[in-house]
Amino acid sequence: MFGEQAFELIKELERNSENLPPFNDEIVRGVLDEINAIFEENRKDANTVNETGDRSLIPLLMYRDASLYRNKRCVLAYLYNRLKRIKEMRWQFGVAIPNEIKSNLCEPEIQWFNAYTQNLGTYMRSIGDDIGLNLTDNVGPPKSLYVEVRCVTDYGKYELENGDVILLRENSQHYLPRVECEPLIRQGILEHLG
Amino acid sequence: MEEEVPISGNSEEFELDEEEEEPITAKKVLDTLRQAWLNEKFAPDLLLHQTDMLDLMLAQVSYMEENLRHLESNDFRGIIHRMELERIKYIICCYLRCRLAKIEEFTDFILAEEAKREEKLLSEEEFTYATTFSNITKKHFEQIVLKYVPTLRDDCAQNLPRPNEMSHVFLTANKDVPSVIVGSNDEEVDLQIGSRHIMPYKLAADLLKNGDVQLL
Repeated sequence: MFGEQAFELIKELERNSENLPPFNDEIVRGVLDEINAIFEENRKDANTVNETGDRSLIPLLMYRDASLYRNKRCVLAYLYNRLKRIKEMRWQFGVAIPNEIKSNLCEPEIQWFNAYTQNLGTYMRSIGDDIGLNLTDNVGPPKSLYVEVRCVTDYGKYELENGDVILLRENSQHYLPRVECEPLIRQGILEHLG
Repeated sequence: MEEEVPISGNSEEFELDEEEEEPITAKKVLDTLRQAWLNEKFAPDLLLHQTDMLDLMLAQVSYMEENLRHLESNDFRGIIHRMELERIKYIICCYLRCRLAKIEEFTDFILAEEAKREEKLLSEEEFTYATTFSNITKKHFEQIVLKYVPTLRDDCAQNLPRPNEMSHVFLTANKDVPSVIVGSNDEEVDLQIGSRHIMPYKLAADLLKNGDVQLL
């Protein structure tokens, strides 16, 4: 059946709606081969139709054309939705993707991520007559200036904006300016209490 | 007077300073931005950029931040001002994020519309961002799929994701607007100042552009 592999790609994303599954090189290639195979068959039959004027082949041609189109859409949708998730990572983790996720990306996706990061960086620096503004900060409406956090991992020393250096050890609790620990909370280093 | 304030930490003057700037007051700027933010947030389509207002506000924000640095850290007025700053920054960030999200979602549609428009909705920076975003994404598709398969027709162009202009929005009237058409059956309604309505975005878009209504 045409289109089965392509649909498999979509289902795979659907099944892993929370995370990013490894780039399925094998199936993507399979779909591309199928597209080319269909195209080739259609080309041959289209020639036959042109030469003999046998119109009985036309429904078959149209069926194949629809399958080809569908395959293409599925595989592009697969890529596009992966990009969307990769994009979210930029907002969540910052400029560096955690290694365990990075291994699930294919090379062009890493390139895309870097280009995206660069583009976003350029844009954020240019905001407000080059004053610059980090849009990944201030994600939620501010409720208080300081928040209580617990450290989840041994992070080490962390310098605050006012020059104070604090030591983030596992299970230590701190009362910190929300702005400064927001990125650490997003990266899962700190945990927001209460 | 801007120069006098900081070290004394006199927050009264501080506030005044914010509001007495001529010819346009900081309060006005903030109100405009807050409105733009809410409108942008609730409108399905991209609205006109507010670069001038943003630039003013950001300059004011960094000026205030500079002032706050001179305040003693235990001064409770400092805490209140910092909180206020946080709120302002949140509004700005959320506003710009909202625009970026729309730009990323409907990139090609927005760029195509923008090319046709006299009055540009995107700021220069946003335009650069959108163009680059569109290019890297197309390159990505090209690299993995499109260059390996035959192109029979330009099938990418027919299905540009576009905002749903008929989605309903809540709005309130800033002034009396007589006989506004709401709904597809040409039903007319007089909007009274302060009254609230719900109608398809498309029908309210012009009123929104004139500032006759605002979204909620």
